[in-house]
Amino acid sequence: MRHSIKAALTAALSLSLLSTAGAQSSRQSTLVIGGDFSDLITLDPGVSYEFSGSLVTGNLYDTLVAYEGNNLSTLRPRLASSWTVTPTSTGSRITFKLRDAKFSTGRPVTAADVVYSVNRAINLKTPSSFLYTDVANLKVGSVTATDAKTVVFDIPKTANPNIVLALLTFNIGGVIDSAEAKAHETNGDYGSAWLKDHSAGSGPFVLNRWDKSAQVALDVNPQAFRRSPNIKRVILRYMLESSAQQSAVNSGEIDVAMNYTPDAFKDVAAAKKLKTQKADSFLLAYLGMNSAKGMPFEDARVREAVRYAIDQDGIISGLLQGLGRKTQTIIPIGLAGSDAKIYYPYNPDKAKELLKAAGKGDGFSVDFFVSTGSCAGGVPCADLAAKIQADLAKVGIKANIKQMVNSELLTAYRAQKAPLVQVSWSPDYPDADGNGTPLSDYNAKSLAWRNGWQNADASKLAQSAAIETDAAKRLNLYKQLTALMAKDGPFAILYQPSRPIVIQPNVSGFNQNANGDVQFEKISKK
Amino acid sequence: MLVYIIRRVALMVFVLWGVSLAAFLISHALPADPAAAALGNNAREEQLTAFRERNGLDRPLAVQYGLYMTELVRGDLGSSLRTQNPITADLRQFFPATLELTLGAVVFAVLIGVPLGIVAALTQGRAPDLLARTFALLGGATPVYWLAILALNVFHEKLGWLPGPGRLDAYSLPPPVKTGLVTIDALLVNDREVFVDALRHLILPGLVLGMFSAALLTRMTRSALLEVLSQDYIRTARAKGLTRARVVARHAMRNASLPILTVLGTLFGSLLTGAVLTETIFSWPGIGGYATTSAISLDFPAVMGVTLVAGLAYSVVNLLVDLLYAVFDPRISYS
Repeated sequence: MRHSIKAALTAALSLSLLSTAGAQSSRQSTLVIGGDFSDLITLDPGVSYEFSGSLVTGNLYDTLVAYEGNNLSTLRPRLASSWTVTPTSTGSRITFKLRDAKFSTGRPVTAADVVYSVNRAINLKTPSSFLYTDVANLKVGSVTATDAKTVVFDIPKTANPNIVLALLTFNIGGVIDSAEAKAHETNGDYGSAWLKDHSAGSGPFVLNRWDKSAQVALDVNPQAFRRSPNIKRVILRYMLESSAQQSAVNSGEIDVAMNYTPDAFKDVAAAKKLKTQKADSFLLAYLGMNSAKGMPFEDARVREAVRYAIDQDGIISGLLQGLGRKTQTIIPIGLAGSDAKIYYPYNPDKAKELLKAAGKGDGFSVDFFVSTGSCAGGVPCADLAAKIQADLAKVGIKANIKQMVNSELLTAYRAQKAPLVQVSWSPDYPDADGNGTPLSDYNAKSLAWRNGWQNADASKLAQSAAIETDAAKRLNLYKQLTALMAKDGPFAILYQPSRPIVIQPNVSGFNQNANGDVQFEKISKK
Repeated sequence: MLVYIIRRVALMVFVLWGVSLAAFLISHALPADPAAAALGNNAREEQLTAFRERNGLDRPLAVQYGLYMTELVRGDLGSSLRTQNPITADLRQFFPATLELTLGAVVFAVLIGVPLGIVAALTQGRAPDLLARTFALLGGATPVYWLAILALNVFHEKLGWLPGPGRLDAYSLPPPVKTGLVTIDALLVNDREVFVDALRHLILPGLVLGMFSAALLTRMTRSALLEVLSQDYIRTARAKGLTRARVVARHAMRNASLPILTVLGTLFGSLLTGAVLTETIFSWPGIGGYATTSAISLDFPAVMGVTLVAGLAYSVVNLLVDLLYAVFDPRISYS
């Protein structure tokens, strides 16, 4: 027995002392990113809809047009070298001229591939198909190839060509090698079972392998026109826990950590041994106030009182450690149409006055639906809810926190059953309409509807702003809409969070834009 | 013996059916909509309806259960609502990682627990015994997540002796998947470097997960051995002039091994399912994480699949332990 213990101890010791020297050589050219990628479901650009899916497919596939870096208001050419928008008798037409590009398979990117990719996404009825069918109002046949390098999108009057261009930058706009997809088709699935964990794009990287819940490995695509200076491989490691990311980044095991908690991020930023980045997001954390008849927030003055009662600065400096921006209207900072005005400076006395005017001078009690887990910006939802509860208590509103898992909360909210709810929203495409319609138009059966808030003026403004093609007129419509929503709407916007990113000092060029996308080919490592 | 095994397997099937029914009813009793959970906050009403139809969620509960059982009998666990993959494919992917971690934990638990227990029994009341009992108390009372974070911080971050989260070094690609156990797969392709790397990655999470079991084993071994050591035949053996070590190894341990085996069997079962926290903190891509994500996203078929596999593993290990009784103790026979 003693002998075997000794042998085991020796074995354990020698294992711990052996170094992984062989891996050193590839370290220079491999970028390792640690993050919570648990929402990754598929790498098929036509199907993928989640943050992580967008992050990966954006590097595997090219879209016709794209945004570069943090500039999310100027479209840049990507697969399309140029494009023109012309009015037609039925609406408008966008004509794209394709550049000379090759898929990772070596085949040239043709107009037929673009047509296939659009029709495929429409026919597959994926979670993001509605972008083509409902927002762009496209059908199979709306997109045609006039020659090998020219694609035409025919858009009806009911859709705005500028919004179509914006949504083409999303995953669903990724152009797939149609020959490759057809070769792997089973049961008429347009190759989506295969494309779930394989790639057939022209982007700067190709998929090496995806070990679910462990890591995604991407290799450089030698055929690509977008190239990385010295990164040959990118590995996205699943690290759900912020503590795991912290220890891995401190030991040099990963180059980038994407999910620090606000507290830990503040410490790293102060220590200055590692680079830190506060990446913007379009996420809005808000309180939804049910304004239907008979609900506590039916009276607009009560909703205003809540907005005066919330101490936004306290939330941002205390809970978020500065990882968030203050805003009070429905369109996030960074999108054309957002409104920087502070309508409600923190003022509990004013809130009490408004409550009194609404006949609720003695305050009232309301159920407050709160998710378990972490909320926008990495703050525990329970902590945020406690702060809101305390703020509301100061003006006499007693919020009874009801904590539930997010899926349960979402079900109640969708059924218009949440009296007061703490949630967040991010637009599907970087355009004011991504928030304008769902948050203010009752008929869209989205957030305004969930809060039982119906306002004909708001619906009309949101609808006309969506299809207005004149930029100046459109901005004016959004100005009216945001002001109306701030005064009367069913939301109290809490903050717009920033994403905490920690980067090794020898890594440069890492930049996450407000959509959550990172162009891996722009990163280099010393 | 064969009849006994057949009877036990039949009982196992019955128990698993009960487990599946309970899991089915509990998961469907939740006041939440799996379609909303799968498609997220921004999904539209038409998408939700289409999703419910596609996955049969619009059918009455009894019909859903009937359909599920028909598929189950054919060996089909259905498709995950979240990943839209066949559950069997998902389980095949995640189960080996948990199995590897659990085996590592059991090995550590035995390597630590049994020798400590023996030492404690032989030095009853003296300093080594006291130390072993302190360890047993601490090991049993320390929360796994705290131990995991502490171990990572000290041995990985501060001292740099052992690798951090994950099953392999971040810079090396895993070997081609054959068994799903990275250590075995590395050996199969004769990649010594990856094998050593995988083994080193097993040490911290294995120790952390095995700590509770090691503590329990220390206590069990100690008390089992103490009881045996007071028996007459031990005194006889000593009187015959056998050395103390020989008496313990040949006579006492053989008889003390039965209760230890029992504990080990139940531990193995609970480790397999109790790896959730360790897996989360060590970013270990096993069934624990899969179960958590599935439960949060109301992925009923996936939760049912995990429950059934956990139940099956538990039952099989228990059966094996019972059969091992007969091997260790000739007085026991199943006929």
